[in-house]
Amino acid sequence: MPDFLRIAGAGKSFAATRVLGDVTLGVGRGEFVSLLGPSGCGKTTLLRIVAGLLRPDAGSVYLDGEDITTRPPHRRDIGVVFQNYALFPHLTVAENVAFGLEARRATRAHTQATVARFLDLVHMRDLADRSVKVLSGGQQQRVAVARALAVRPKLLLLDEPFSALDRKLRETMQIELKRLLRELSTTAVFVTHDQDEALMMSDRIAVMNRGAIEQFDDPATIYHRPATAFVLSFVGMSTRLSGSVVDAGDGQVLVATAHGPVRARGAFPCGAKAFVGVRPERMQLGPGLGRENEIEVPLRDIVFQGSKVQLHFTAAAGDQVVVETVQLPLGFEPGAHIKVGFASNDAMAFAAEALP
Amino acid sequence: MTAKVAVARRREPVDRVAWLALPAVAYLVVAYGWPLLLLLARGVTGPTGLTLAPFASFFADPFHWQVVANTIKIAALVTLVCLLIGYPTAFALAWSAGWAQLVLLAAIILPLSVGVVVKAFAWQIVLRRDGVVALAMVKLGISSEPVRLLFTEAGLVLGASNVFLPFMILPIYSVVKLIDPRLNEAGATLGATPFYRFKRIVLPLTLPGILTGVVFVFSLSIAMYVIPSLLIGDRFQTLATLIGRSFLFMRNEQLGSTTALVLLALAVFVVAGSSILARRLERSQ
Repeated sequence: MPDFLRIAGAGKSFAATRVLGDVTLGVGRGEFVSLLGPSGCGKTTLLRIVAGLLRPDAGSVYLDGEDITTRPPHRRDIGVVFQNYALFPHLTVAENVAFGLEARRATRAHTQATVARFLDLVHMRDLADRSVKVLSGGQQQRVAVARALAVRPKLLLLDEPFSALDRKLRETMQIELKRLLRELSTTAVFVTHDQDEALMMSDRIAVMNRGAIEQFDDPATIYHRPATAFVLSFVGMSTRLSGSVVDAGDGQVLVATAHGPVRARGAFPCGAKAFVGVRPERMQLGPGLGRENEIEVPLRDIVFQGSKVQLHFTAAAGDQVVVETVQLPLGFEPGAHIKVGFASNDAMAFAAEALP
Repeated sequence: MTAKVAVARRREPVDRVAWLALPAVAYLVVAYGWPLLLLLARGVTGPTGLTLAPFASFFADPFHWQVVANTIKIAALVTLVCLLIGYPTAFALAWSAGWAQLVLLAAIILPLSVGVVVKAFAWQIVLRRDGVVALAMVKLGISSEPVRLLFTEAGLVLGASNVFLPFMILPIYSVVKLIDPRLNEAGATLGATPFYRFKRIVLPLTLPGILTGVVFVFSLSIAMYVIPSLLIGDRFQTLATLIGRSFLFMRNEQLGSTTALVLLALAVFVVAGSSILARRLERSQ
């Protein structure tokens, strides 16, 4: 299937600063793709290029088979939910939602019916005649989503729409939005710096760093098989042990670390500096039989997180050891030396200099 | 319900804060309200007591109707010129940054420190037959020979617009500055053309600023005295110059007071009328 949205070699600089360099990305019809990265990684710049609010220095944007690189935003048929929602303060809720339909000269009857339908979809029908200035953050967000979707755009772009909401409301809105987009089978590109949000909502995630895409994969692959050290450290927690490769072959390396030899997936020549990363829930506590890797470290902190418990250990300089478990075994006190094991298949080796 | 709560909570501090306006209110009552009352009293009292006769005789004279028409026409033209020049300028000022904004702001505010008499005399020089405006018009091919604009209505409008322009730009600038540039982008992504965006987003949001500017400039130009005195002279009378003539040359205090009240009524009518118009426009958006 050809890509519905295709960004080919997009680049953008502001003054002397290169914000985006040669980014290529394809999004399928009906897909929900997140651009995930720290602030300043170029994700919002990329979004604005797709929306037509910014002209790229290089590269092209294709939507539904058409080159839209130089097309002005009002002729692109791409909806945007802005970070601050950008609702029209002088209009009511219903008038905000009707704006796009009226701008496209829809008939009065069609406009009214569509506004009513979309206000229903976001549970804002009762507040249709309110001024948007008196709405709460969550209500404003609903209006912004309804306004952007009411014109049935080919593509919906969302620029950190949940960042202004408190945690509880954010989770509700995330689920609601996901359901709404699936119901309308809308293709969406979502910009966020929140890894949990990206993992939870996306079909695929493009992890961005310094104006480039580091990895573009489904959430499980991003989390369990990070392609780069940046992805490993930006998405989720990880245990990190550094050392030098002493044995290599068969897609595996043996790394001599301060905590003993560790076997991990990776291809590095002997003598190379490397570090091994392991996700915290892939590590087992206490002594076990037949483990490929086992280290012994003193427990430093126990962090209770409700459904899970995180254990932080004291590790050698530059290293960190984190274990996540569902239930804390009895008799674990800070200061105690504890054996921790993990499979070599769950351990990934990365070049040491790439550690951010 | 929530609105009621907010109002109830706000009422008490507002009452106390209102006392901060005491000096201003006291000043206005003593220095403005009281003299105004005296003027009003003189306007409606004759030798035989309370009377409206001065107004009847004022409006019986066609010359006075001409003066009222002159006043409104010039004020309306000055307001229009200021709006046409000031509106885009306010956007340039609000959307420029750094040095450009500083220079623009200085260019608008510094001239306010030059006295209006000085400016009017300067315009006398500019508007002469051998002044820069006349010469420029010949150079540009607008006129075949130098035209004297001094002592013409066009010259008066030109000079007065220059003096009052900042009072149009600054209120519009202050509302433009508050407009989130994303609103325009949001309009674009919803499929609105630049013209539609201007009509439905930018214009309604700047309307309060436009209105303030219009009221400022209109009230100032309806009452201006020095500028018409120097730029057009006695042949062309406005209400303000008529007041001056009545008191200073004709020694007719009755006519002066009556004319002053007509001018006041006109100004109040315009200010009140434009606020009502604004509210209606806002509601129809």
